[in-house]
Amino acid sequence: MDISTRQSGTATIVDVVGDITLYNSPEVRKVLLNLLKEKKSPRVIVNMLSVKYIDSAGVASLVEGLKLSRDLKSTFALFGLSRTAQEVFELTRLVRVFEIYTNEEDALRGGSPNTNAAPVR
Amino acid sequence: MASIPTSKGDNPQAPTGAAISVRNLRVNYGSREILHGINFEVPAGETLVILGGSGSGKSTLLRTLVGLETPSGGEIWMRGKNFAAMSEEDRDELRKKMGMSFQGGALFGSMTVGENVALALQEHTELDESTIEIMVRLKLDQVGLSGFENYMPAQLSGGMKKRAAIARALSMDPEILFFDEPSAGLDPIIAAGIDDLILKLKKAFRITIVVVTHELASAFLIADRMILLDKGVIVANGTTKELQASSQPRVRQFLDRIPEPELTGEIDYLQMLTGDVPPIRQ
Amino acid sequence: MAITETIGSATINGLAYIGGLARLAGSSVRTIFIEPIRGKKFHFGRAVHQAMAVGVEALPIVSLISFFIGTILALNAAYELRKFGAMQVVASAVAISMTRELGPLMTAVVVIGRSGSAFAAEIGTMKVNEEIDALETMALEPVDFLVAPKFLAMLLMVPCLTVWADFMGVLGGGVFGVSAASFTWGSYISATLDALQSRDITNGLIKAAMFGLVITAVGCQEGFSTGLGSEQVGRSTTSAVVKSIFMVVVVDLIFTAIFYLTAPR
Repeated sequence: MDISTRQSGTATIVDVVGDITLYNSPEVRKVLLNLLKEKKSPRVIVNMLSVKYIDSAGVASLVEGLKLSRDLKSTFALFGLSRTAQEVFELTRLVRVFEIYTNEEDALRGGSPNTNAAPVR
Repeated sequence: MASIPTSKGDNPQAPTGAAISVRNLRVNYGSREILHGINFEVPAGETLVILGGSGSGKSTLLRTLVGLETPSGGEIWMRGKNFAAMSEEDRDELRKKMGMSFQGGALFGSMTVGENVALALQEHTELDESTIEIMVRLKLDQVGLSGFENYMPAQLSGGMKKRAAIARALSMDPEILFFDEPSAGLDPIIAAGIDDLILKLKKAFRITIVVVTHELASAFLIADRMILLDKGVIVANGTTKELQASSQPRVRQFLDRIPEPELTGEIDYLQMLTGDVPPIRQ
Repeated sequence: MAITETIGSATINGLAYIGGLARLAGSSVRTIFIEPIRGKKFHFGRAVHQAMAVGVEALPIVSLISFFIGTILALNAAYELRKFGAMQVVASAVAISMTRELGPLMTAVVVIGRSGSAFAAEIGTMKVNEEIDALETMALEPVDFLVAPKFLAMLLMVPCLTVWADFMGVLGGGVFGVSAASFTWGSYISATLDALQSRDITNGLIKAAMFGLVITAVGCQEGFSTGLGSEQVGRSTTSAVVKSIFMVVVVDLIFTAIFYLTAPR
């Protein structure tokens, strides 16, 4: 798994490439918490387009990011969930908890997230 | 959230394309052979139910599949590796991808429900404690035990213990789940709840599931495939439909719940009473 | 069965049992000292928890028993010594018997009753409830997880308790010395210190450490060999206590003999 960040306006986009699993989700968590806590980023968007698979540890790390963003009054969004990732979020009843968009433009624009969006792939 | 085999980089499949492939498996207790050459396969994402009466060897088969008994011969292929001929370290690696739910739950009595679910994650991963806490709540929510993380196992009812044990079995996001008598000793409503949970796990996470049971109603509800074990050999192996349609006498006897015939013949009966000949005919 | 056959099979069983104890100890040593070097976690927290249960919670009862034993030793010694008008020897008699023998032994007896039996009951219950099997299917080695922390806790705590027991024993002897013989607290303490050699104390502590290992190994071994059914847990517990007492006395004999043979004349 590779993880990198880039700036787009005030928002920070986190590009994750590869599976998020038990063994590498601490990296994702570290990046997210650092962006929110140290860099004070007002909006963090996680790009899931290249994440084929995410397990419960990955989901838990994203939940931690979401919670911290709420505490710090910043916003947290996801976009580009694969079909399997979408299923995982539905099963854990997290689709309505997260701001989830189909693509980057929508995520940057913000507004009402399209929670019922069909999976991208 | 088990991995979905088709989406994983490393292919968790036995040479034959099945999630589990058992070949000519033999297991001994001391000098007595319990399983006499078992062959079967479980395709990835399907549920196999192992049926059989008491003493048929079905529990021994399950214990062997999870590595609690050492086979005296044969092969068990999982994730492309022969589980039966592995070093203890490789076996442990494979076990991290398996979950087992024991008949009585086997929850650690000195730990809370939450600690039970968290244990494998704390021991085997570098996850932060706060991430583990969220994972524990996710797993408990999946089995309908939200809010019970600080209960001790002794404070739970039988059905809740089993649910907690399933949450613990799910903690590492297994690819294969094993159940020993999931609905034994539970009242019908709670047993139906456990069946529902198994169906949900299969559908949701596409986990390969192996269930040992003697409860026929539950078996037909959850199974894709079944094997019927009798005295350590497989007497029937097929899809649920195939088994239901089978005309084999032993299968019919089991499925139609026909009791064993009584000892006929006066001489047999007398010998049994006087202890001259053991009544059990092997 | 022929007597030779009986003796032979008893010997083989005995050796196999001791082999089992050694295996437990060996794999615990690997878990505590070698595996952490190779990057595998060892939970000192669990060992600390055990050490509290084994050591700290045993302090009151160890104190009381060794205090009484000290007084009893003084009484017994005085009974003979007063005939010769040698009451001043009471202090050294108490000090030497306590540090060399009764401090470690009485501590071991208390620890067997409190902890050895508890180890057997804990592991036995886990065996009966399939918890040991559950650990294995979770890729957690039961010996690493359950036994190693107990060994570490006992190896540290039994000698510590023994030092305390030695002190309380001397105190118990002192109460008699001061009240019934012509000692003052000052003269009793200095008589004790004159009589003691550092070898008396270290030999006692070496024994105590050995007792700790034996009690842990026997308690855990009995737990693991628990059969099916919860009534078997009671049987394991009883047998852990009886076998531990026997093994402690045997180890005591062996080490006392070694100390005797290696002592400077």
